[in-house]
Amino acid sequence: METIISIKNLVNRFGNQVVHDGLCLDIRRDEILGLVGGSGSGKSVLMRSILGLQKPTSGTITVLGQRIEYHKPGPSRCWGVLFQGGALLSGLTVQQNVELPIALYSDMPLETRHELASLKLLMTGLSLSVADKYPSELSGGMRKRVSLARALALEPKILFLDEPTAGLDPIAATEFDQLIKYLHDNLDLTIMMITHDVDSLFGICDRIAVLVDGGVVVGTQDEVLDSDHPWIRDYFGVPRAQRARGAMIRPAYE
Amino acid sequence: MSNAFLSFESEPGRLVVKVRGQWVFDEVLALEHATASVEPEPGQFVSFQCAGLEKIDIAGAWVLYDRTEQLAVEGIESEFTGFKAAHFKFLQHIIDAAAIRDYEEPPEHPVRPQRVRKAVESLGSHSAAVIEDLGEIARSVLEGMRSPSLYMVGETIKQVYQTGVQAIPVVMVITFLIGIVTVHQAASQLEKFGATVLVVDLVSISITREMGVLLAAIMVAGRSGSAFAAALGVMKLNEEVDAMRVMGLNPYQMLVIPRILGLVIALPILTIFADIAGIAGGALIAIGTMGISSLQFIERVAYSTDLTNFYIGLIKAPVFALLIAAVGTLRGMQVRSSAEELGLKTTMAVVQSIFMIIVADALFATLFTRMGI
Repeated sequence: METIISIKNLVNRFGNQVVHDGLCLDIRRDEILGLVGGSGSGKSVLMRSILGLQKPTSGTITVLGQRIEYHKPGPSRCWGVLFQGGALLSGLTVQQNVELPIALYSDMPLETRHELASLKLLMTGLSLSVADKYPSELSGGMRKRVSLARALALEPKILFLDEPTAGLDPIAATEFDQLIKYLHDNLDLTIMMITHDVDSLFGICDRIAVLVDGGVVVGTQDEVLDSDHPWIRDYFGVPRAQRARGAMIRPAYE
Repeated sequence: MSNAFLSFESEPGRLVVKVRGQWVFDEVLALEHATASVEPEPGQFVSFQCAGLEKIDIAGAWVLYDRTEQLAVEGIESEFTGFKAAHFKFLQHIIDAAAIRDYEEPPEHPVRPQRVRKAVESLGSHSAAVIEDLGEIARSVLEGMRSPSLYMVGETIKQVYQTGVQAIPVVMVITFLIGIVTVHQAASQLEKFGATVLVVDLVSISITREMGVLLAAIMVAGRSGSAFAAALGVMKLNEEVDAMRVMGLNPYQMLVIPRILGLVIALPILTIFADIAGIAGGALIAIGTMGISSLQFIERVAYSTDLTNFYIGLIKAPVFALLIAAVGTLRGMQVRSSAEELGLKTTMAVVQSIFMIIVADALFATLFTRMGI
């Protein structure tokens, strides 16, 4: 299968603390990769390194064949990012937030831009009545949807999601999972998501990558569950993970 | 008639449009031109044949769908045939989204009377909020003063250091320079009357009475007024202020009192340093270039500047400090939602505190003149 993102021998060190120690990971086309790990295991650092927001101590990262360098423009046309808090620009309305990348990367007339942005909002399950509101007037769940609409504005090939369901109630979280799955299936997206939500991990992820000991254990759900690494056994051994897994055997996502 | 994206075959009763090429985001402009040329003759319906499509995304699918909607408005039917499943799912997105949009009521745009009403209402509620905030600050400040906590004492000392001690160098440099400027300007006028020596009176009186305290206050408004507003604003955005409230701590006491008290202590100290530096600047020029001896200078300063002038300058300092700290903290506390607002409130804090300092200074000048001092 084609590799979209390739991480080779990534090392990230802060003072004496080694976060990544020769980490290698390939992300394949059209998969949903769930990234888990304990606090401080470097999930966010990994994502930020891939996005060129963090300068790795050493190692190379290639996205769609392009080498990522710190604070240099990456393939920003080809990726969309959903930050944890949404990271919407607070001075712009919802509509303007989604229109902004379209306006920056195309010469479409205003009306077309407007229509396309509305379309993305509708696709992420938002009502157009929110279009003229400011981010501060929205609930956390809605902000995430707007942020997702913005991430999708330029028809990206890769989507990065940082804890997409964190802070959402179970109903909203399940809906959001389904939305991600739906968009993945219909827009030919490759998705990498950081998540601690075991339901979305088992529900929608094709492969799971676990950050342990500065490296990564990656595989399908069954492969990762069979791992005999103590942290991974603990992680998937806790009751809530067991329940989520049980729910998967009786399929909850249809 | 055909182009890179479409070719046409007119048949009796229908117009066959063959769709081909890459219907993607980057081509939207060209695609819109292409679809605009789909113009069936009367009595024809349009059949889009999509088997030749190489690639499509949401933007491209939308252009295609949008044209069929426009045609539908003109009463012309259209159909899609030959779509590959991998391509059709994009169109399906649009059809789904459009269905939701049509189902929804269009959002209401307020008409003018409503806008005016809204503006008046927001002005009213805004003023009420300001008065409420001021009241709460005043009440908690008074309460806090009655039973000061150790934390507040420590914070106050920190504020005195940050707003006062750290500002000493910059305040001294600018008043020193203003002292130099004053002597230069005054000397060229006073020379004409052969009263050069009076520059000493002029610089010592103007610095101690007005310029020293005013310059120090304006500098502090720029330095610390903005810092107060920004720091408190960010604390509000981070919910730190809310966290204090739920822990039973009064944020006004914890955050506002130390800043007001700190500045009320710091600004008079700064004023003294400013006065010294201003007179020193004057002395440098008067003694260095105007042939006034240092003894003469000291004598004139002592003669002209009785301590009244010095006290008049000094007494204004705590009032200015109160204005700067109150405006800065109040504006900071008014930040509610966004980063944009934070910038706005910080600007307001600086502009309004400088404005109020100068208004207060004018009132003081009138008052003291009336009192004959």
